[in-house]
Amino acid sequence: MSAERVTTRGQTVVGAGVSALDTLGYRLQRLPLHLVIAIFIAIWIIPTVGMIINSFRGVADMGNSGWWTTLFPPHGFTLASYQQVLNVEGVAPSILYSVLITIPATVIQLTIATMGAYAFAWMKFPGRNIFFIVIVGLMVVPIQMTLIPVLQIFKAIGLNGTIYAVWLAHSGYGLPFEVFLLRNYLGGLPREIFESAEVDGAGHSVRFLRIAVPMTLPAIASLTIFVFLGIWNDLLVALTFLGVSVYRPFTVVIAQLTTSLGGGWQFLTAAAVLQMLLPLAVFIALQRYFVRGVTAGSVKG
Amino acid sequence: MVFAKLNPRAIALGLGSIFLLAACSLGGSSGGNTQSASDVTVWTAWGGNELKAFQDIVKPFEASTGIKVHITTNRDSTTGIANGIAAGTDLPDIAPATTDPIQLKDWISKGAIKPVETALGDQMSAYVANTYPGLVNPPAGTTGDDPYIGIIGGKHYYLMIKFQVKGLLWYNKHLYTGQAPKTFSDLLAIDPTQYGAQKLFCAAFSSGAASGWPASDQLDNIIMRQSGPKVYTDWIEGKQKWTSPEIKQGYQALLQEVSAAHVYGGTNYVLATDFQKAGEGLFKASGSYKAGCLFLIQATFQPGLTSFANLTAGVDFDFFPHPSMGNSQFDGNYNGFYDNYAMYNNTPAARQLMQWMVTKDSQQIWASSGVGMSSNKSTTYTDPVFKAAAQIVTTGTNMLVTAGDYMPTDMRNAYWQSLLNVTSNPGSLDSELSHLDQVQAAAYKSS
Amino acid sequence: MEQIITAVVAVVAVPLILLGYIRLGEAIIERLPDTLQAWIRPYFWALPAIGFATVFMVYPLIRTVFISFYNSAGDKFVGWDNYVYFFTFPDTLTSLRNSLLWLVFFTFFSVLFGLIIAILLDRVRYESLAKIAIFLPVPISAVAASIIWKFMFDYQPPGTTQTGTLNAILGAFGRDPIAWLINLSTNNAALIFVGIWSATGFCMVIISASLKGISTEVLEAARMDGANEFQIVRLIVTPLLWPTITVVVTTELINALKTFDIVYVMTNGAYNTDVIATQMFRQLASAHYGRAAAVGVVLFIAIVPLLIVNIRRFQQQEEQR
Repeated sequence: MSAERVTTRGQTVVGAGVSALDTLGYRLQRLPLHLVIAIFIAIWIIPTVGMIINSFRGVADMGNSGWWTTLFPPHGFTLASYQQVLNVEGVAPSILYSVLITIPATVIQLTIATMGAYAFAWMKFPGRNIFFIVIVGLMVVPIQMTLIPVLQIFKAIGLNGTIYAVWLAHSGYGLPFEVFLLRNYLGGLPREIFESAEVDGAGHSVRFLRIAVPMTLPAIASLTIFVFLGIWNDLLVALTFLGVSVYRPFTVVIAQLTTSLGGGWQFLTAAAVLQMLLPLAVFIALQRYFVRGVTAGSVKG
Repeated sequence: MVFAKLNPRAIALGLGSIFLLAACSLGGSSGGNTQSASDVTVWTAWGGNELKAFQDIVKPFEASTGIKVHITTNRDSTTGIANGIAAGTDLPDIAPATTDPIQLKDWISKGAIKPVETALGDQMSAYVANTYPGLVNPPAGTTGDDPYIGIIGGKHYYLMIKFQVKGLLWYNKHLYTGQAPKTFSDLLAIDPTQYGAQKLFCAAFSSGAASGWPASDQLDNIIMRQSGPKVYTDWIEGKQKWTSPEIKQGYQALLQEVSAAHVYGGTNYVLATDFQKAGEGLFKASGSYKAGCLFLIQATFQPGLTSFANLTAGVDFDFFPHPSMGNSQFDGNYNGFYDNYAMYNNTPAARQLMQWMVTKDSQQIWASSGVGMSSNKSTTYTDPVFKAAAQIVTTGTNMLVTAGDYMPTDMRNAYWQSLLNVTSNPGSLDSELSHLDQVQAAAYKSS
Repeated sequence: MEQIITAVVAVVAVPLILLGYIRLGEAIIERLPDTLQAWIRPYFWALPAIGFATVFMVYPLIRTVFISFYNSAGDKFVGWDNYVYFFTFPDTLTSLRNSLLWLVFFTFFSVLFGLIIAILLDRVRYESLAKIAIFLPVPISAVAASIIWKFMFDYQPPGTTQTGTLNAILGAFGRDPIAWLINLSTNNAALIFVGIWSATGFCMVIISASLKGISTEVLEAARMDGANEFQIVRLIVTPLLWPTITVVVTTELINALKTFDIVYVMTNGAYNTDVIATQMFRQLASAHYGRAAAVGVVLFIAIVPLLIVNIRRFQQQEEQR
């Protein structure tokens, strides 16, 4: 923000030596900032770029030379890995099925978690801290430990092997973390806003839907990404609760790419790139909630 | 008064959602599963060309019977089935069985897994007669049970589909022109530079979470030929100490194979490189040498790995059987590695598929696919490698399984890791072995 | 057809049901006498969360505690045997040490980098774009990450062409290649770095969301008073971010304790890189439920102090607001 302002000022009074020097000085001063950011970005992006480039190379090339050699001629790009992934039997319906699993499961658990976090943050009731400790403590319980008892429950209510079981299981497993995170944000909202809304006669549903949720939108938006991702990349829950169902999400289907001896691993680069696309799109789409001013400065901060 | 405060929109929303909830639960009863009773669900660990070959086997079956076969690649099917058995949920009709003898007995006692006898009915005796004896009969001279090939309580539980032979000595035919080394000392006496290779052996032990198994294959093949089936089986079952002379001399022989003097690329290369790339050294020039190494010890699946891509069996490469370890009475022992299927739901369609999978016609599809050997003795191979491997099996006296695969998980993991550690630091052999004894003492306790 | 019905049910009905639950529930509760309202309402709001947690986690957890005292088959009470097994298993000491390394270094650096990046990016105009770069590793599964890092850590014999990025860089400086995942002095650091690499994006996004809630007026006022940027970060921004940092640290500590997939796919604990979670997974994979359960219980007990710290902090938050 301030950088913009300073720059424009510098340009409008071009010729005035002092201002030009100021601008230069300001820019020099900010050079380390850009440098540090550039280093972080480079470290974080290079491994992924390496994989993306390798996904366009043949397996022999990958074994004989580093990915960066492809940047120079002869490039040797090939779409073979992508063709292999797209030729896997049932890959197209599996992507649709992954979407069908991910979106409802994300919606269910975020709604329930936001409601729960609202109760924990703004209502006093007996056993509140105990309930909270237990729910959050559950974050440490590995999912693998819960599979058998949850399978038994699904069997008892006849849901095992259906997509509904997968929705519910994901919602259950994701909740502890979401309640924990959202309670922090909801609990940080200023008391006065809720009190004045109460005076105006707004009930809890109005306070929740019209005040609490809009004001925590950046937090909910960022959480949405991670919830979405967790479900989108999941293999274990889908394999376990879909059981012998003939419907399979993308993560299950791409296991067909590699042999039981690990051959064909090179195709997984292309699969990983394809698998990243939707979560990345969600992240980019939600970025508009990550700017200052979404909550109109109303959060006491 | 009271009703005036109720928001009509809230009521509409509430009722609407209850309606939808009902609709959704109705959908739920039929939602997940559209397979009919005559379908068969199969879980498999196969992918890539193995899966392709299996699909080629299933296709004519579907065409002739009208049964639809749903194949899912599930690399963790043992855990999935164990969970299903514990929770009482539906199991796939056909899937690989566990290789853990204790777990297998547990599944049998719960009635979860059905004997092959049930699946094949009157074709059982034909199946046993047509299959390589090592896969369906207890070792020569013994009778009764053999959990390593799925025989418990006199019944078979593994349907043997295909198999591989391990511990073969692969070489570059353009390079090595000498005789097959008869004994281990003959092998070590070969001077690789005479044939233009830098070192005697290539090796690569990395394999992600299973790193170390390629080394364990080499060691298994040494021990079974040095000390025989009794020691070998006792060792799997935790009755043979790791510090015992038999096991220690096995490790020492392995350490000769991967010593700096004999192995291409140095130990860090051996440990850091994926086993699929191990064969590269046979064909890739190294400095002034025509190749990095002369021999690679690996199973019949070697030609399918990336490092042998675009090479022709019998022209560019070939193999020798594993040399004798100097104890001729055990020369007939060989290391087999099979893929099994078991039946979990006794349905007519599942039985039909099980019966189809062991017919000669379907087994011939395996034999011709080049991804492994058929378990059926009478199939024919066009590939000279498989033809020669079948010869080993026919003349061999004793099929022994891969030791680590049948040890408790803790033990197996420690076993594989010990091989990596001693390769990296041969001086640590004694401390590694006594560590393995400690693990053994804990891992076999059945608490 | 059936899939389309499922899709419609999923996308339309699910939000409607949940909205309906809130609206209808509140409409009914508001009819009730005040004292009853105050008593029922919190449970109405928290019930779905508590219910889900009970079914999916609490009940399994209680069951876990029970089976940790039973044998593998679950038919014989064995007392503390499974716990004794864990604490006397020869490799447990190494796992505990490595899990401790993960707890300290993974948590510290992923949160620190996330915080630094969030604060720095708040000051530049290309923030959105730069965030995508840092976020990029987050959607990558552990299996794919292991392939990515295989390209980074790859090792070829000294003197030959290096195909791994890191060793190629070393080679450019005339140094010998390093077998990153095998060398005992680099392998744990290498694995933890992969963890940090994939977790920093999370820390950045969460901390950044909180950073955007700090009002511009507060910062402008500080600048007017002549504070430089370092003072603003140290004296104003960081204290305001503390609650969020605590939450992120707690989350990452728990993730460090649960670290499983990166270690599993890359080394499975070889060369002294084993952690507690991989040990537990091994027991589960061989159906030793009792032993696996004992490890799970130990993990749960280990985080109780962490939870108490968090509860204290939430109580403070409530007193202050």
